[in-house]
Amino acid sequence: MNKLLQCLSAVAVVAGVGFLAVPAGAQAQFDHPIHVGVILPPEKGTPDAVLGDAVAHSAKQGVVQANEELGITAEMLGIDFSVVSATAEGADVVAAAERLVTQEGAYAIVGGFSLTESAALSAWAKAKGIPYMNVGSSADSLRNALCGTTTFHLQPSAAMYLDAMVGWYVRSNFRKWYFIQEDTPESKAQYDRVKWSMANRHFGAREAGRTVLKPGASGGAALVAAIKKSGADVVVMLVSAKDQLRTMSELDAAGISLNVTGFPYPEAQTRVFFAAAAKAAPTLGAAYRATAWEPSLDAYGAREYNARFLVRWDEPMGESAWSVFTGIKILYEAAFFSESDKPAKVMGYMTNPASIFDLYKGLGSSFRPWDRQMRQSLFLDKINPKAATLMEYGNLVGELPAIYLPGTELVERLDQLGDLAAQTKCKK
Amino acid sequence: MFAVLKRRCARATVAGFVLAAGVLGAGVASAQAQDTYRIYVANEYGADISVIDTATDKLVGTIQISGRPGVVRPRGMSVSPDGTIIYVAVSDFHPEFETPEDKIIAIDVRTSQVIREYRAGGNPERLALNPTGTQIWASLEARAQGAGYDIGTGENFVSFRTGIEAEGVAVSPDGKWVYLTAEATHTVTIYDIENKKIIKHLLVGNRPRVVVFSLDGSKAYVSAEIGGTISVIDTKTQLVSGTINLGLDSRPVELIVDPSGKRLYVAGGGTNSIYVIDTDTNKVSTTIKENMGRRPWGVTMTPDGKKIYTANGLSDSVSVIDTQCMCVVNTIQAGRGAHSVQIGVIPHG
Repeated sequence: MNKLLQCLSAVAVVAGVGFLAVPAGAQAQFDHPIHVGVILPPEKGTPDAVLGDAVAHSAKQGVVQANEELGITAEMLGIDFSVVSATAEGADVVAAAERLVTQEGAYAIVGGFSLTESAALSAWAKAKGIPYMNVGSSADSLRNALCGTTTFHLQPSAAMYLDAMVGWYVRSNFRKWYFIQEDTPESKAQYDRVKWSMANRHFGAREAGRTVLKPGASGGAALVAAIKKSGADVVVMLVSAKDQLRTMSELDAAGISLNVTGFPYPEAQTRVFFAAAAKAAPTLGAAYRATAWEPSLDAYGAREYNARFLVRWDEPMGESAWSVFTGIKILYEAAFFSESDKPAKVMGYMTNPASIFDLYKGLGSSFRPWDRQMRQSLFLDKINPKAATLMEYGNLVGELPAIYLPGTELVERLDQLGDLAAQTKCKK
Repeated sequence: MFAVLKRRCARATVAGFVLAAGVLGAGVASAQAQDTYRIYVANEYGADISVIDTATDKLVGTIQISGRPGVVRPRGMSVSPDGTIIYVAVSDFHPEFETPEDKIIAIDVRTSQVIREYRAGGNPERLALNPTGTQIWASLEARAQGAGYDIGTGENFVSFRTGIEAEGVAVSPDGKWVYLTAEATHTVTIYDIENKKIIKHLLVGNRPRVVVFSLDGSKAYVSAEIGGTISVIDTKTQLVSGTINLGLDSRPVELIVDPSGKRLYVAGGGTNSIYVIDTDTNKVSTTIKENMGRRPWGVTMTPDGKKIYTANGLSDSVSVIDTQCMCVVNTIQAGRGAHSVQIGVIPHG
């Protein structure tokens, strides 16, 4: 049991107050229990699934954490709130979502840990008129051609991650970029977007070369030779987390000593990935990585939030735990602040430009009206190969955009990352 | 507290007048020294308290809370009704652990010595005294609790539930209510002291930090850091009666009502500003920005309402604002991570 919950149980006795009773004058009145549904990826337990399992494990923790913390909050306000969840992957996520809504009474769905799953859930949610919170796929196509009118994106977009990465590296004087691209539309879109960022947002860098690989394929000696010949000072892997690990290992073994980083898919943001990178590539593994959450973040409300999680689980809060918890929290707050769990009301609250959400990142965040992407800051970690614990595998070294910039406008600051209204292909 | 300090201030003014007259006459008031005011700044990273003399606006001392800066963390403060004792909430940077450092300390303003400690487990963050000075109320951030302590015996006579990340705490001027904010839950918990029960949990702005009452107790003002708002609570109905929008980036934290009750001063940490709000209209009348220190979170003022002091956490400083010109007239070096600020009095000091 959560220590906070234990504490609250104890204090009820000390104070002699019936905190199970509905407090007088609770703002939102619901005459029925309200539920958010979450679709979790399965933990497979096979050696090949270690990275995916790390995401699934973390996401499951986010559900439990949300049930406990938000349950306490809701109870205080006289609301019977809980999270209902199902485990599914691939095309099965749609049936799981359908079941959570029709049988478990969920008013909104959280999930989607790949482009395929998120696209399917987005299309289903649009057809059903259900709010859907994408917490796992950064694919820009979901925010553009595939954009669903009831889909909200807490997971930062690829455009946001790539803008942040280009910003960090260019300012650190990494000017010649070598790309390892996967032969998939998602990876090609990432490549196109990073080139756009280099041309339009962060001048002074250029492409030194590019290799396109089939998913799962090795670049081998040819890739090593191409990188050496290119004169690149940074290598950016726009491939899956698993392929990033293998490629880093191969480049490391071949004596490449450049700065090597990769696209921050959820698997690649886990401490398990950081540890694996340090092991697979003793030299290149001490790399810089973009993340949406950092469990050692020690500012704003994040210190307390990370601490509560650490006490509850004896593990650092992974990005997937953060995104699942926060996705649920947003939907829960949208219901109690709009005083309704009706989809139209909930979505109306979330799309209102005046609606602000606390992501524990020190800023009041909001959804962009043109693609319903949550504005937020991102973090830069440096992998620590000498770590003794999971937490120590990542050291927080950067944050973009800067939190404190008096004299500038917050929304404009946050919109330095990602696509602006003029770029969107999302048809509302 | 202000009422008492205001009386002191009035007496000091009279004493000053008598003293001046006495120079020309018999000198009867020569022993009647004026009260002296001291500003106390809790430095959360320095594990110490800076002491500033308001007459000179000079740093006159530093009180070491612990020899472990960066570990032990003084934050919120409150002052006894007569102004002579400053209470400081002390915790650490690890809310996941409960340590002996979790406590409330009492500092005698006359000597700047720590005269007493009260055990307060669960990361006490902010404090408030009841009007008679017999009880101290604390927010226990890590436990999601409010707690009351008997000042005489140190007994923790009650604990009650709040939302998650309890922070701001205030006792109503009539001594009936404790209002306590919770950052993560966006709530103010209203606790009935006499009947020992929670009245309600009230939704306010996003990430509420600090709560203060108007001088007559008819309203309470709650700053919401992430929302960039001040919620105005009607204490009769115990409902939010209005919301003052300071802007998304304002990040308001501490606030104080001036002695006339006509102005509310709000520390805007995100914009390095002090917002001055007309309490009749609930509108911002002035925003003080020029020459402000970085990330002001703490704010207090002299009992005559002539000077404001802010605790600036990113510049480790205190800005002194003249309320006539509404401008920064001085900057004083404080310790590392200036978090909160309070004013105490040395009677006839």
